[in-house]
Amino acid sequence: MLRDTSRSRLLLGVLIVLSIALIVLDSREGGHPVTAAARSAGSAVFMPAAKSVSTVAEPVTGFYETLAAAPDARRRIAELRERNTELSRQLAARDNDEGRMRQLRTLLNLSGRGGYTIVPAHAVTRLTVQGYGDTVTLDVGHADGVRSNMTVVNGQGLVGRVVKVSQHTSTLLLITDTGSSVGARLEGSKEIGMITGRSHTVGKESMLGFELMDATASVSKGERIVTLGSYRQVPFVPGVPVGTVDHVEDTPGALTRTAKVIPAVDFSRLDIVGVVVEGPATDPRDSLLPPKPEEPTRPTSEPSAEPGVQASASPEADSAERSPRQTESEQDPSASPSEPARRQD
Amino acid sequence: MGRTASAVIAIVFAVLLQSALVNRLPLPWGVGPDLVVLVVTALALRATPSAGALAGFTAGLAMDVMPPAEHEIGRYALVLGVAGYMVGSLRDTSWRSGLWPYGVAAMAVFGVALGYAFVGAILADPRVSLSSTLTLGGLSVVMTMLVSPLVLTPMLKVMRRLNRDRFGPIGEAPWIEGVLR
Repeated sequence: MLRDTSRSRLLLGVLIVLSIALIVLDSREGGHPVTAAARSAGSAVFMPAAKSVSTVAEPVTGFYETLAAAPDARRRIAELRERNTELSRQLAARDNDEGRMRQLRTLLNLSGRGGYTIVPAHAVTRLTVQGYGDTVTLDVGHADGVRSNMTVVNGQGLVGRVVKVSQHTSTLLLITDTGSSVGARLEGSKEIGMITGRSHTVGKESMLGFELMDATASVSKGERIVTLGSYRQVPFVPGVPVGTVDHVEDTPGALTRTAKVIPAVDFSRLDIVGVVVEGPATDPRDSLLPPKPEEPTRPTSEPSAEPGVQASASPEADSAERSPRQTESEQDPSASPSEPARRQD
Repeated sequence: MGRTASAVIAIVFAVLLQSALVNRLPLPWGVGPDLVVLVVTALALRATPSAGALAGFTAGLAMDVMPPAEHEIGRYALVLGVAGYMVGSLRDTSWRSGLWPYGVAAMAVFGVALGYAFVGAILADPRVSLSSTLTLGGLSVVMTMLVSPLVLTPMLKVMRRLNRDRFGPIGEAPWIEGVLR
């Protein structure tokens, strides 16, 4: 059925001979001028064509490459996503660790300056059963040397005291709890009084109240308050910063003066705290207070109010702090009216 | 001379497309569809053996001079010229169906692969071996047949239209097409 003529056979023969001649010419060592010229002509045609095809077909080839890489890409995407999650988790953990480290450093700084022996603890949960007691669970307990009625501080100041201890956990009553009262004094050992929690008191927006024993005592906004220290340093060790007077309430005719106090501790962000297992040998006085801010918030120019000169504190205030009666007064607020008369100087 | 012009255009287009686009695609297994063989097959199916041989030789020579110059000039021209001649000779087979051109194209692709390897073997091309020839030839047939409907169908349609305007060669009577296609 093949349909060929002698003419077409002749043409085929010529073409075959021509091809073989070209092959022979081109396969010689170093090539041949004719084939070299043909190749350069081919390149001259090829380059612009290839370039234009590349320009036109770039989206197509990109799409094709995407398709060709698709099975691999899905695995790669999953891999990268997993790695991304892991890295962000590590980063968050590192940030968290840095924050904890900072808190722990300030806590150690405070305990070192005050001469307290502390057990660092982690505030695990904030117990607000039925919304009453302001308590926090700590992850240290009897096994760590924690006993009930121990002072709990963090880097900024007083947090509360331990009320219940189990083997490995303990419950901390915050000073903002309405049932908590702490004997305290103004910086510079001026006036003593009592810090009471107000967190659940209706109509009082401040978390702490400061009740001065002396109704005529001069107290003004910006003065800072440290703990007075209890008898045998149970439950409160002396010298821990408590807060700053925010607003003095006018209570004409009352036996005591009261002031609203801003706590030194940010109670909404409790994390690392320290349980003071052993109090200082000597009262650190005001040395734990941070340097006062530059703005002149204190109208009374008391020289002993400066943090650096706590050594010049009056001796009678010192003796008053260490008296057993003081401890009773902070445990029982009803016993306080007897105190201001004795404290007049 | 509409047929000659269209054949030249088809060859140029196929050669440029093959060398500038298909051969640069990162295809799996490194084997792409051979558009030039498809075009030569389509042209030779509707032409005399000498025209088919000429078309194959021209297209092969064009592919030979195109970069990359990894083989001798004339190798592809020789194989494609012979292929064009043979396909052109086959034209007058009496039994023809719609799949006939595709079968011819597949045979042509495989034959071109074999012939190319054969010439390479004669020239002592170290890359040519029996297994690689069969593998690459089979892959080439598969890839080419995948794209063949895109090339063969429009080309055959255009060439039939061009043929109808002129006096068709003897044997390509319209009633045969009308009855059997």
